[in-house]
Amino acid sequence: MEVLYETLLDVTWSQVAMWAIGGLLIYLAIAKEMEPTLLLPMGFGAILVNLPHSGAAGVIEHLFDIGINGHELFPLILFIGIGAMIDFEPLLTNPKLMFFGAAAQFGIFFTLCAASLLGFEINDAASIAIIGAADGPTSIFVAQVLESNYLAPIMVAAYSYMALVPIVQPPIIKLCTTKKERKIKMTYKGKTVSKRTKILFPIIITCIVGLVAPDAVALIGFLMFGNLIRECGVLNSLSETAQKVLANLITIFLGITIASQMKADEFINKETFIIIILGLVAFVVDTFGGVMLAKIMNLFLKEKINPMIGAAGISAFPMSARVVHKLGLEEDNQNFLLMHSIGVNVSGQVASVIAGGLILAFFR
Amino acid sequence: MKLFEMKMPLSEALAIAVIGISVVIMILALIAVFIILLSKAVRLVEGLVKKKVPASPAVTPAATQSVPEGINSGDVELIGTDEKTAAVIMAIVSEKCGIPLNRLSFKSVRLMDNDEKGGNK
Repeated sequence: MEVLYETLLDVTWSQVAMWAIGGLLIYLAIAKEMEPTLLLPMGFGAILVNLPHSGAAGVIEHLFDIGINGHELFPLILFIGIGAMIDFEPLLTNPKLMFFGAAAQFGIFFTLCAASLLGFEINDAASIAIIGAADGPTSIFVAQVLESNYLAPIMVAAYSYMALVPIVQPPIIKLCTTKKERKIKMTYKGKTVSKRTKILFPIIITCIVGLVAPDAVALIGFLMFGNLIRECGVLNSLSETAQKVLANLITIFLGITIASQMKADEFINKETFIIIILGLVAFVVDTFGGVMLAKIMNLFLKEKINPMIGAAGISAFPMSARVVHKLGLEEDNQNFLLMHSIGVNVSGQVASVIAGGLILAFFR
Repeated sequence: MKLFEMKMPLSEALAIAVIGISVVIMILALIAVFIILLSKAVRLVEGLVKKKVPASPAVTPAATQSVPEGINSGDVELIGTDEKTAAVIMAIVSEKCGIPLNRLSFKSVRLMDNDEKGGNK
């Protein structure tokens, strides 16, 4: 009985706050269906590690040590699954979409300046900036390699904003575009890509990125390995496993492992609050950058681009592409932008990995 | 951490930001150029291989172009609608159901009369 009292008396207000945060994440995952695969394990894990004298903390920390601390295993393996899920065909048929992916990384570099101005150490500022990659595994990888002190808030911000893309992006897109621009229809030429091209693409991209930005080679290499399994045509069973079983398994462990960093005494502070705000800034500037590039390109192009597709350059795949497609349909129910926005979204995936590698090259 | 106590001069931060985004754009431009060259090279090689192989199977060019790899065109019956509209409808059904087109089988696409209601096609 005494033990029970002791445990109850050891509960601190900050632990209670973490239970509330955990509850909120679980609520968002279940009721709002926002990235439930990650927010739910993270929410439950946040409660689990913030119980006084939690017996689960040890095992979760061990998972963290082997899965994230040791060579960033979980995010990299997850990339195999993501690579197996992605069809690069829309990008291969229209390579100029690559530029939107680049423009939508602008938020990373803007946030780097902002975080640095606010007084964060360089490695922390760079890790916070990478929230703008809108790519969970890349955020974890970069923050871990740079030994950031704010791994947990960075991960929470990255995944939360990815989940909030349908809420964050539409107002920014509408603010940056006119109704007329949003109604621009784009013709889809429906070109096909040969199997050889699809097979050579992941191999050669890995070589190019590896030669130009060696720090990104782990990220791009695992992503492209997954894609090669998908496209080679002789490993259908492995491809299915990577897309479903492997990705799901890692996601379960990743979510709950991240929670090991959400201990009340390390998580509840003003820096976490600032990081959450900076994460939002990164997403907003990313969206702005993508849309603005499309508007600038329209000044020179005969066949106009719907500037909304630029917003899909953030790598929140495929949510961002769907948001743009829905906005197009809202303006005109015959305006189908999905194939274009998916192409931009896929290029954003590649661009975010390259940006992550560059950040590592600059600050490692 | 002390707020607003800069660890890196603003000029340096801006320089890194400008260089960073420029390098990302350059690498992606390089990849875009590579994709174009790769597609052309593969098409050229495939063209050469096709020339060498005797043209025994009679495949119409229209059929090979319109049906993406791995997707079976099947025999969709079009009633009162054109191919383009049918293709759009099939793409929308695939998107809304979340099932790839190559796993869906359409039997017919029919324009409904105004007085026809319901009808599970």
